[in-house]
Parts: sequence; C-alpha cells; structure tokens
Amino acid sequence: MTDRTDPPNDTSAHGDDELLPCGRPLSQVWDDWERHPDDTHLHACPHCRDAVRGLDQLETAVRDLRNEEADSALDTTTLTRRVMDLVRLELRPGRPLPLGGPAEDLWVMEAVAARVLRAAVESVTGVRAGSCRLRDLRADETADGAMDQGVAVCLDIHAPAGVSIPYLAEQVRERLLEAADRELGMAIAAVDIRVTDLVPTPADGQEGGAR
Amino acid sequence: MAGARRQTASPDTVPPDSRGDTDDALLAVRAAEGDEDAFAVLVQRHAPALLGLAVRLLGSQAEGEDAVQDAFLSAWRRLPEFRGQASFGTWTYRIVTNRCLNVLRARRPAVPLEAAADVPAAEYSTSPARITEARDAVRELREALDLLSVEQRACWVLRELDGQSYEFIADAVGISQDAVRARVFRARRCLTQALGAWR
Repeated sequence: MTDRTDPPNDTSAHGDDELLPCGRPLSQVWDDWERHPDDTHLHACPHCRDAVRGLDQLETAVRDLRNEEADSALDTTTLTRRVMDLVRLELRPGRPLPLGGPAEDLWVMEAVAARVLRAAVESVTGVRAGSCRLRDLRADETADGAMDQGVAVCLDIHAPAGVSIPYLAEQVRERLLEAADRELGMAIAAVDIRVTDLVPTPADGQEGGAR
Repeated sequence: MAGARRQTASPDTVPPDSRGDTDDALLAVRAAEGDEDAFAVLVQRHAPALLGLAVRLLGSQAEGEDAVQDAFLSAWRRLPEFRGQASFGTWTYRIVTNRCLNVLRARRPAVPLEAAADVPAAEYSTSPARITEARDAVRELREALDLLSVEQRACWVLRELDGQSYEFIADAVGISQDAVRARVFRARRCLTQALGAWR
C-alpha cells in the first residue's frame, strides 16, 4: 500500500472499474474468483493473484468483524423501554364507544375495548385475535329511521386447524360477549367473526379451553 | 372514559403466554388499531436485529440506538398505512436503513464518490506484520468503513455483513440493482486498498 498509485485506467473506458496490468478488469477478476476459482489465468498471473489476495484478506477481516459482533450481543432492554414510553405518550386519534345504557354518559376508546375483547377470545384454546373493529350502532340510522342499540364487533381470528369452526365461533362469541358485559359493561348488538387463517394446534393445552 | 383500566405493562413484563407465540402479522394489525402492548412485543422482538443493523451502518452504538428509536416511532405512526405487503421485520428494516442513510448523509454532506476511493494510504496500514493480526485487521476495517461514501457503506454493509440480496438492497436504499452492484464493488476496492495488503 505504501507505493500505491492511482490506477491509470480508472473511470475512463471502464467506468468505475480499473484494468490490471495484465489487461483484465478488476471487477471481472474478483467476479471470476468467486465463480470460477479454477481459472488458470488467475493462478498464473501475478497481478490477478495480488488482486485476489486483497479480496481474500478483506473477506477474512469481514468474517472476523461479523464474529466480533456476534460475540457482543447488544442489550436492547433500555431502548425498548424508551421506545414504548414515547409510543404511549403519542396521541392516537380513536373513536369513543358508549358503555352502559343510553342515559349514561360513559365511554371507552375503541382501542382499549378491542384489547379487552381480543384477550377474552384468546382464552379459547388455539385462537389468536387480529383486527377487532367496533362500531357504535347508535350513530347509524336504519332505513325506517329507527336506531339500533349497542356496538357491532367485527373480529378477525386465526383458528386452530382441525377444530369445527362453527363450534369454535360459538365459543369465541360467548367469551367475547361475556367480557364485553362483565369487564366493559358494553352492550353488543352483533358479532361478525372472520377466520383469516387456520394454524396448527399448539402442543400444550395450557390456555383456557372449553369451559 | 374507561381508559384507565388499561394496564400499562412495560414491554419486559408482557405475559409470554399471551403474546409470545403470536405472529408478527397479527401483532402488527393490532398495533395498527392502537394496541400499544402488541407494538411493545414487536419492538422487543425486532429491536436486537435492527439495533445491530443500525450500529453496523453508523458505526456507533449511541447513534444506532437513536436511529432505531426514531424508526420505531415512525413505524408506530405509519402502522395504520402498513398493509402487510412485506413482513413487519422487512418493513422496519427498510425504515431503519433509510433513517441511517439520512444520519450518514447529514454527518458527511459532501464526500465525492471518486474521492472516497482515492483516499491516501493511512499510516497505520504500513506494517505488514500487523495485518496478520485479526484484531488489527478488524479495527482497520472499521476505520476504513469511514472512507466509504454513504451509499457505498450502506450497500456494502447490507450485502457483506447482513447478507442481503442485491434486489433487497436496491429496494431498501432506493437505487437500481446495477447501482448497488457498482457501489459494493467500489466499496470493496476502497476497503482492500485501505487494508493495505494490495499495492
């Protein structure tokens, strides 16, 4: 490296490449070394051998660098906490939903209610809840001008494979209504369930199961 | 409002049985609908890999942590638009890469690409005996990474340290695959020269 000179052919005819004194472009030599290491010219030509040795040396250093990094596992506990502190400070626009009877002025944010309902349906073995949208039916006017009461739920779930879906849906609906009533005091008018995936049944049956 | 009954579980106290086996796609959907606890699981799950990436790209743990923090906040805000075209991991990997590119660009506003390859030989590389020491070589490699242009460094790190495909890098960095190949080549040339064994 001490007597390194700028390559004479750099950036002219070969763009970013450079020609070795033997006439081969450096990029091709490196490429050939990776793809056709038995190329006789590469072994015979001193310029190519030099170029390949440089690449080999770099790759050794890269391997050592990767190993060093693998050894020093980064602790992300503090970072994770910092991120979540900031996330919880962020205001997310959300919709309030009514709780209790029409005369009461009690509301819950959709995201909060959805979290309670998801947790409840996940007590059914093998069920995983995804999207859970809630809609206040009082806001919708029906065709004859009458108003429905309560909240409509639209829930996506991953269901365990090999279990009767109607039976499962019944259990999910039951748990959801129970949690809505007991934990939230929310009147549910309708529950739409969409099974978006079937997943292999977990080996352990530690979760809720049928009661 | 009944929002008060929400449990502000810190990320490390999320019950493992309830979400530990829930896949990223479901958690991302929940997080998009405002479930912070679901997002906490995603952050916990992906922070180590993303921090590793950011530190490799930026060469500094503190800056890496800031970049990952910014990236996660940005992800949280953009989650409602995230439609699951890519996995959550890939999506955040791209966000972190972009964030790091911006940090690198702000750090060194004007290093012409060609100048990067023509940086004079550093004095530390003159002793061939030291090059045989792996630790020295790694240190030299780390220092040499600073000689690269922003795009060269990003492409080289994603390719050589993270093992990403040219297609993936092109997408993450926002340039063509040929441009990625050219930058990886230039980076290698610059690094081999800086490591000093050659010429």
